[in-house]
Amino acid sequence: MSRHSALSDAELVRLCRADDADAWSELVERYSRYVYAIAVRGFRLADEDAEDVFQDVFTRVYTRLDTLRDDASLRPWIAQLTRRRCLDALASKGRETAADEDALTLEESEDLAEIEEAFAVREALAGLSDTCQDILDRFFAQDQSYKTISDELEIPSGTIASRIARCLGRLKDAMEPRS
Amino acid sequence: MAADDYLDVRVRELLDRISADGLAPGGGSASALTVAFAARLVAMVARCSPEWEVAAGVAAQANAISDRAVGLAGADGLAWEAALLALRDAETAEDEDARRSFALEQKLEAAASAPLEIASLGADVAALAAEAGDSCEATYRADAAAAAALAAGGAAAAAHLVRVNLGVHGSDPRLERALASEQTARDLADRLLESTG
Repeated sequence: MSRHSALSDAELVRLCRADDADAWSELVERYSRYVYAIAVRGFRLADEDAEDVFQDVFTRVYTRLDTLRDDASLRPWIAQLTRRRCLDALASKGRETAADEDALTLEESEDLAEIEEAFAVREALAGLSDTCQDILDRFFAQDQSYKTISDELEIPSGTIASRIARCLGRLKDAMEPRS
Repeated sequence: MAADDYLDVRVRELLDRISADGLAPGGGSASALTVAFAARLVAMVARCSPEWEVAAGVAAQANAISDRAVGLAGADGLAWEAALLALRDAETAEDEDARRSFALEQKLEAAASAPLEIASLGADVAALAAEAGDSCEATYRADAAAAAALAAGGAAAAAHLVRVNLGVHGSDPRLERALASEQTARDLADRLLESTG
């Protein structure tokens, strides 16, 4: 975890504008999977095309960060850049005649919505306590049983489910302003 | 049947497939689906208990466990089919073959893996059902108890399959884990059934 990993997007953008190299590394680290997921899952690009999109998007982010009007809107801005580049890549391959998101299939649109949702959850998770992040990750991402969580965190097993439920409640609260 | 098939198939067809003279689904898949049913019952009880502070979070956990159980129903079926074919191969062979015996042993061990996880999920569902039974709307306490009983049944069946597939009775840590899950689920279910009886 870098020293900038706890920063908000707006704070990160401010440091990037000040040419903080660690901030740039954190920005790429934070959004690399996002860009790649949009290209590969959302637009079904082949690996080499996704790699081209990846390079181009982050080059544009680097050279055009000053054009970002709202520092807190980094994620939607990167999403827009990525979608445009993906459509260009598809058009150049002859798959889409019009560089238009309306040309996406329902499945592709649903995948893009899922990616957005997944990253919104990830952002909200990052705002929770370490304990909540840990216990939610163990149960929902690592599929750990209550007994395993109880043994590893030395928490009474009878309280695990209610702890997870309370952390979910906090996650929901953190996400509500977004929805 | 793959995991997705269990979600798409009609109940009648599923029952026919279970009773058909063939390979999977068998006891492991049925125990996984029993745990999945139990988990969904807990989710229903939680959703019908708006006054319960953590009801939504409990329902989310129950649904997540149900999804895992359905996945294990598919995984168990595939592993058991492979083991069954290896068993038949070994039975029809005329001579002892160390390599064949080793392959059979490996397949039986793999076939114990899903039931081990199913037993663990059964214990987790019983724990959720117990919480639900303590805190849900009174009207739904019997459903919480029913969920705990189903979860305990699924855990017991799965633990039995672990024992049989591993071919052990003693201190194998996997069997100990499965039996501990079975015991936990049974204790929780007994308590809830007594308190709602």
